[in-house]
Amino acid sequence: MENVIELQHINKSFNGFQVKDLSIAVKKGYVTGFIGGNGAGKSTTIKLIMNLLQQDSGSISIFGMNYMQHEKEIKQRIGFVYDENIFYENLTLKEMKKIIQPAYKNWDDKAFQYFVDQFELPLNKKMKTLSKGMKMKASLTFALAHHAELIIMDEPTSGLDPIFRRELLNILHDLMQNGDKTIFFSTHITTDLDRIADYITFIQNGKHMFTKEFYKIEEEYAIVKGTLDLLDRETEQEFIAIRKTNSGFEALTAHKNRVANLFGDTVILENPTLEDIMYYSKKGGELYV
Amino acid sequence: MYSLIRKDFLLQKHIVLLYIAILLLFSLFVEASVYVGFIFSLSFIMSACSLDEKDNINILLNSLPYTRKEIVASKYIGALLFTLLFVIVMYVGDFLVNGNNGLLLLKEVMLILGLVMITTSFLLPFLYKFKMQYLHMAMVGVVVIYLLTISFFIKNLHDVIRALTLKILALQEIQLYFFAMLIIVILYIGSWLLSIRIYERKVF
Repeated sequence: MENVIELQHINKSFNGFQVKDLSIAVKKGYVTGFIGGNGAGKSTTIKLIMNLLQQDSGSISIFGMNYMQHEKEIKQRIGFVYDENIFYENLTLKEMKKIIQPAYKNWDDKAFQYFVDQFELPLNKKMKTLSKGMKMKASLTFALAHHAELIIMDEPTSGLDPIFRRELLNILHDLMQNGDKTIFFSTHITTDLDRIADYITFIQNGKHMFTKEFYKIEEEYAIVKGTLDLLDRETEQEFIAIRKTNSGFEALTAHKNRVANLFGDTVILENPTLEDIMYYSKKGGELYV
Repeated sequence: MYSLIRKDFLLQKHIVLLYIAILLLFSLFVEASVYVGFIFSLSFIMSACSLDEKDNINILLNSLPYTRKEIVASKYIGALLFTLLFVIVMYVGDFLVNGNNGLLLLKEVMLILGLVMITTSFLLPFLYKFKMQYLHMAMVGVVVIYLLTISFFIKNLHDVIRALTLKILALQEIQLYFFAMLIIVILYIGSWLLSIRIYERKVF
């Protein structure tokens, strides 16, 4: 399967923060959810992918091209949505369009108008008066108006109300129905991903933990609940992290079947949420690193 | 790259119109001068830079299909184009209102362009490296030095500058002009390359 984004052995350190030997591949034609806690390196990774930051070592290839030689070709095919406002505050959407439109060869005015209508965006109001959700939709409109093949979104849902979030997810869902778009989508609101993500990429402390198909996570990972007497040095090895209380333990395992065979009926197995995985991985990371 | 220059124009189209109106109004009372052309051009270039210096705007521009070289180039080429625009408006206004079409015209245009280029050569790398607020501090420093100079060292600095301007405009030696222009162009290109170097390493 073709990879749209490939990061290989990326190292980058600055301001006391480090990305270590990060390798990520994003598959063409799918939605990849990019998760990790605050300060895990999500924004840094996205900035590296957008060439806003240069890596200290390692290679980045987008659509099979590198930024050194093909910066403009690559960016022609990328649409971007950021968490922060990236518009000139005192311009209207119409004026922003005049500035952004000439940058793209594939600009499609009809598509722009279509999404402006669909998202009910005001063309003649200054950008600074638009709500966060509106600005996000405006960014998405620009991305869609030049028929971007790859849409990169950095925390597009943070700070949006639930209705707006669901609306965005529906839009993205519809986008994926017709065409060969790829979406790379960072978030720490992991429930957003339940509805649309095909793959999950998880990073922590600047390190890549895993990239997996969403449904496989449920097959491999489990929350295990049982009594404390079941735990000993050997069985603890099976878990990423364990939370002990007076009444028993709760732990995350990445080997659901093995744990099921090992403990049999003495424990309860539950499907973990992405949040469970993030929480226990962080806990495990603190314990064993 | 052309669209980046167009962007600077669109962003400030009201200011451009205002400046042009003021320049035309100016020509009713005073003759076109090197000083006026220089100040107008420079203030326009500065405000174009200040609009773009925010991190989020840099993120926007760098996410669009432009290279960092082009973003820097648009400022250097734009500076020349906008200066020419103001100079042309100023002298055309002067011609229409006052009927002046002095022989000094070309020399004055060259002098304005030269002064703008020299100032821009120092300003742009500074602005790419630091933010506007540091420029204000630096300007305060320059003003202090200037005040010290005229009150203690060269009390007739203004006269000296005026005399120098006239002298330069009166100069006949084409070779000397040519030489000065060459040095300014080299300075400008050097500053341009330096700005690219600074901007390519910048983190947003």
